Amino acid sequence: MESRIAEPGATGRGPRRARLRAGCHNMSRVTPLGQLGWIVARDVNRTIGGGYAAMELMRRTFVARGWMTGATNGVIVAVSRLTPGTNVLAYCTAAGWRLRGWRGSAVALAAASVPSSIIIFLMSAALVRVATYRAVQAGLAVGMLVACVLLFAAAWSLLQPYLRSRARVRVVAMLAGALALYFVGLTPVRVLLIASAVGLFMRPMHESSRGDGHATTHTTGGTPQ
Amino acid sequence: MMVFVVYALLVKATLTSFSGLASLPQIRQDFVETRRLMSDEQLTQAVLIGRASPGPVGAYVVAVGYFAAGWPGAVAGWLAMITPALLAIPLLATIERWLHLPRMRSLVDAVIIAGSALLIPAGIQLGRDALVQLWRVL
Repeated sequence: MESRIAEPGATGRGPRRARLRAGCHNMSRVTPLGQLGWIVARDVNRTIGGGYAAMELMRRTFVARGWMTGATNGVIVAVSRLTPGTNVLAYCTAAGWRLRGWRGSAVALAAASVPSSIIIFLMSAALVRVATYRAVQAGLAVGMLVACVLLFAAAWSLLQPYLRSRARVRVVAMLAGALALYFVGLTPVRVLLIASAVGLFMRPMHESSRGDGHATTHTTGGTPQ
Repeated sequence: MMVFVVYALLVKATLTSFSGLASLPQIRQDFVETRRLMSDEQLTQAVLIGRASPGPVGAYVVAVGYFAAGWPGAVAGWLAMITPALLAIPLLATIERWLHLPRMRSLVDAVIIAGSALLIPAGIQLGRDALVQLWRVL
């Protein structure tokens, strides 16, 4: 996978079109659209309680198949959090684009949104008050507990590389700062905007950011050291 | 005409929110209070259906669209739900283009760390809701 860093156009000096093509298509040979659609539909539409659990399931599949590195996933998660609307749909769109260009985006977005929309439409049309049934409530609670575990797993997988780096003290301070801002009453978006502003003036956390880090971070996502 | 209004109102709500149910206050303001396209009870039902079904929590806008304008409204709700997600492509392209710059890399690192921190209270809240619901049912 590292050999892809030598691709022309991915070095930051080539024409913009070539860089974008290299950025979104460099894994197209190993990402069939059908499989991408199936994985997204399966992982997004089998979780209850929010999209972060689904994002964690997709990360595990993408990384296990060698379609994406953990660091690339981190960038896509950051993008999804900065995109308005539903985070998991932004994640699917960005991941689809990263893996297979606009076709991948379209397939992933449709796979993530159409099945659940059809279910919701049918439930609305039938005026089914499913949430009032005890059995459904119990099932929902169990589903939410599973989602809760996946949420913590997602946080751990994102933080792990940073906590293993030499900047771990700064990482812990940032974590504490973000949590403090949240508990003071700031909305998540404001917390993320403040974090972005702090990040702009922060010393880089890993070696690849300093010199020719473009090759390792842009094309393969890189891993914080 | 009604469908376009429903789409415009829903997309306004989804474009100005950054997570699933964050669009709810804007939707209530527009659909229940200002235009009276649906009742509070219907809105509550839409949210319940959204939470009870698998998939994104933000998909409740499909039910909102349905209650406001029938099946064309549901389609408008689906379109309003996916429209903001398309912004992720230029955002990702821009970030990846500048990711070789230390400042951009630090910015992304900071967002990842802060975003991970925000998962912790969300997970605690979700776990607490689940346990309370289980206790109530059992």
